Amino acid sequence: MTYPPGNPYGQPQGNPYGGQQGNPYGQPYGQPQPHGGQPQPYGQPQPPYGQPQPGYGQPPPGYGQPPPYSGQPAPGGQPSWQPSTLNPHTLPDDDNVNPYVFCIALTGGEWFMSKGAMLAYYGDVRFDAVTEYSSVQAWVASRFSSPVYISDWVVAQGHGKLLIGDRGFDLNSYDLDDGNLTIKASNLCAFSKQLELKQSIVPGFVTLIGTGKFIASSNGPVIFVEPPFRADPDALLGWADCPSPSVHHDAQWMTQNLRGMISGALGRASGEERQYDFTGQGTILLQSSEVAREDPAVLRLVESQTQLLTNSQAGSLGQRLIARAQQQ
Amino acid sequence: MPFETVNSKVVRAHVSPGTPVLARRGSMLGYSGQVAFRPVHGQGRGIGGMVGAAMSGESNPMMATEGTGQVLYGHKGLHVTVLELDGGAPLVCEADRLLAHDATLQTSVQFLGSGGLKSAISGAMTGQGLFTTNVHGRGAVALLSHGGAFPLQLQGQQIGVDPQAYVGHVGQLTVDLAAKVGFRDVVGRGSGEAFQLRIGGHGTVYVQASEKKF
Repeated sequence: MTYPPGNPYGQPQGNPYGGQQGNPYGQPYGQPQPHGGQPQPYGQPQPPYGQPQPGYGQPPPGYGQPPPYSGQPAPGGQPSWQPSTLNPHTLPDDDNVNPYVFCIALTGGEWFMSKGAMLAYYGDVRFDAVTEYSSVQAWVASRFSSPVYISDWVVAQGHGKLLIGDRGFDLNSYDLDDGNLTIKASNLCAFSKQLELKQSIVPGFVTLIGTGKFIASSNGPVIFVEPPFRADPDALLGWADCPSPSVHHDAQWMTQNLRGMISGALGRASGEERQYDFTGQGTILLQSSEVAREDPAVLRLVESQTQLLTNSQAGSLGQRLIARAQQQ
Repeated sequence: MPFETVNSKVVRAHVSPGTPVLARRGSMLGYSGQVAFRPVHGQGRGIGGMVGAAMSGESNPMMATEGTGQVLYGHKGLHVTVLELDGGAPLVCEADRLLAHDATLQTSVQFLGSGGLKSAISGAMTGQGLFTTNVHGRGAVALLSHGGAFPLQLQGQQIGVDPQAYVGHVGQLTVDLAAKVGFRDVVGRGSGEAFQLRIGGHGTVYVQASEKKF
């Protein structure tokens, strides 16, 4: 089973930003990392990616030379490329156009897409709400078994090239081969119809099962780590193959920091009070910062859970929530 | 080398019992190993430092990371630059910009007002208020910047830096605010570059590739 982070810029060969000294992201992810020193199954070179795109492959003149600050720590450069005009023939098939835009080639099939991820499209593409679509083709609905998220998703269908993006975040495509990967719902942008989406036990996360491709966004490049590992819930992007995480509370932090204790009790965290603890075998995906998008579905999810409360419990929860809202 | 860059926005700190790390609170992304976090209150040394920190807002909440393990730090998707301080001149920067540093390094708050009105104005212009933070000692510092920081070497010459793009400096440098405010600026037809930091001396100035303050 492989999850190559299907990004053209993580691989040394055929790098579209070719000629640059060093990866713009410092360390190419998808490469074996010192963290655990694992033989990474997803680090295998993947031929379909990274082939120079027409009008895109040649490094612009004056670009191959080392930057004037080479050798200095982390120049932190944005990847730069020559802007070239793209058309349906030069757009890549199911590959990144640049780190922030991904192009899906639609050839009559269907893709599930997060609402608002579409940037532009060429050709004849229809977007239908999943709820409408399911009445026509019941099997599609069977692929999307998450009523909480169903209103946030559309089905794209037709022929053409579909460009997607998410707030300028980095986009990566992942190939699942008879596998399962759980990912933060607000970071999942699109997935092919061969995959099945299910709601994870962990709130805010969904699990993709089967064989197929999906595209997910991350704030900054994705970092792959192996358990045992504890992750800030906001920085956590997802996990594959390992058991669902448990919650670890840092007792020392909570006793020494009154504020931390209060916010920890309320379930709010800056990351130091509370982490998701991963054990066992698998892979954990982290994004490069703790910036997370507000997920409207979490509200619906939590709201549905309040049915477990008695009326008086619900009342006291309501008061606490009002107090919290006024605090902020 | 306690800090290893994972990518342009994340550093990995190797923490061991002898080498704790101080980091901005809330910047931990994840860790492996037996690591504990402890909030640290008050920066700087002595009463002056404490008062300064309280007054100036240069009291960025920090936490100590202790134990044995590897910790990933990052903040809001900002770029991270790792600097090695050799124990010579201190690093002068804003407390906000410190993502993490060796606990052996000492931070102190410097009052810019002692340099007269001019330095007070320069503090206001760079968004630093009247105070700035000095980092002393030998060790590594991870600095935050918007759009990546690049070092500019100064060997006696002088450069002008946009106050918003200024990140910090190391070395024997004098920082001076040059204001060329004319009639055009007053009526809103100025170039937008009326205020510049004139930096001269011997050392390194770190400038970010953006004028955005975070």
